Amino acid sequence: MIAPEDLVGEEWAEWYRLTPIQRWRESQKLWETYLRLGGSLDPEPDTQSPFFNPHERRARAADSRPGVRVLRRSRV
Amino acid sequence: MRALLIRGQACVFYGAAEFSRDTDFAILATPQNLSRLRKAMNELQAEVIAVPPFEAKYLRKGHAVHFRCHHPDADRMRVDVMTKMRNVDSFSKLWLRRTTISIDPNETCELMSLADLVQAKKTQRDKDWPMIRRLVEVHYFGNRESAHPAQRRFWLMELRTPELLIELASIHPNELRRFKRKRPLLELAQTGNESALADAILEEERAERAADREYWAPLKRELEQLRLTRKKSFRHRS
Repeated sequence: MIAPEDLVGEEWAEWYRLTPIQRWRESQKLWETYLRLGGSLDPEPDTQSPFFNPHERRARAADSRPGVRVLRRSRV
Repeated sequence: MRALLIRGQACVFYGAAEFSRDTDFAILATPQNLSRLRKAMNELQAEVIAVPPFEAKYLRKGHAVHFRCHHPDADRMRVDVMTKMRNVDSFSKLWLRRTTISIDPNETCELMSLADLVQAKKTQRDKDWPMIRRLVEVHYFGNRESAHPAQRRFWLMELRTPELLIELASIHPNELRRFKRKRPLLELAQTGNESALADAILEEERAERAADREYWAPLKRELEQLRLTRKKSFRHRS
């Protein structure tokens, strides 16, 4: 029989083995950290979603700058 | 209120890991239940933030209604509610099959069943498909040693991991034969052809995504029309 580790790696296998409530608690911890760091509650724009509205106004990041900035790039 | 947690947050309970920033519910669209939902949304100081408006007729057609909360305990949280989804049974059937999880002694959570969640996740979006794969894998690994026929049927119909389908085919060849007509790619699982099986799984996904785009086409047109009407009415007011 295939072991979860052989298919999805150690980290995912560990997540798979948690009970539903343990997974929920781990997810809550992630949320707390995310919100403490000023993470936005606005869903990521998803162009594949049928609800996506390209004209919708979106909230800006907490520091009013885009979340991802290019700091260095190669010439390619 | 009759509401079932669906999509990303429900996936966390079942074993996929989705960092979903909104909370989605399937709800029963009866006047009484919608009135309870309205009351709950008022308590959360929630406003409808997009089209369509919060009306039963839109929910029954398959639209989602999107709320944003302003209560200090849930500030800016997004809540989406739906009643009808493609390839998913009516709410009354979903409710009968639901999973109830106790979060703490005073709080329980009603979730859409795993099998229904898998159906609801068969959308046109890239991100839903790895979720389905993980959801079924977790269930398979957790139950394969003492599975009952309904669970084996679920895996035969829904597993999207070639290696596991081949394993399942070798353990339960007779059951697999029975489901080949419903899911032709099981033939490849039986022969152990992993790469052909992976291609067939991808083809199955493409067909579902195309069907979902087709299902949404008229609903998207209606949403566009509602946005236009709303824009005109704002202009008219100002």
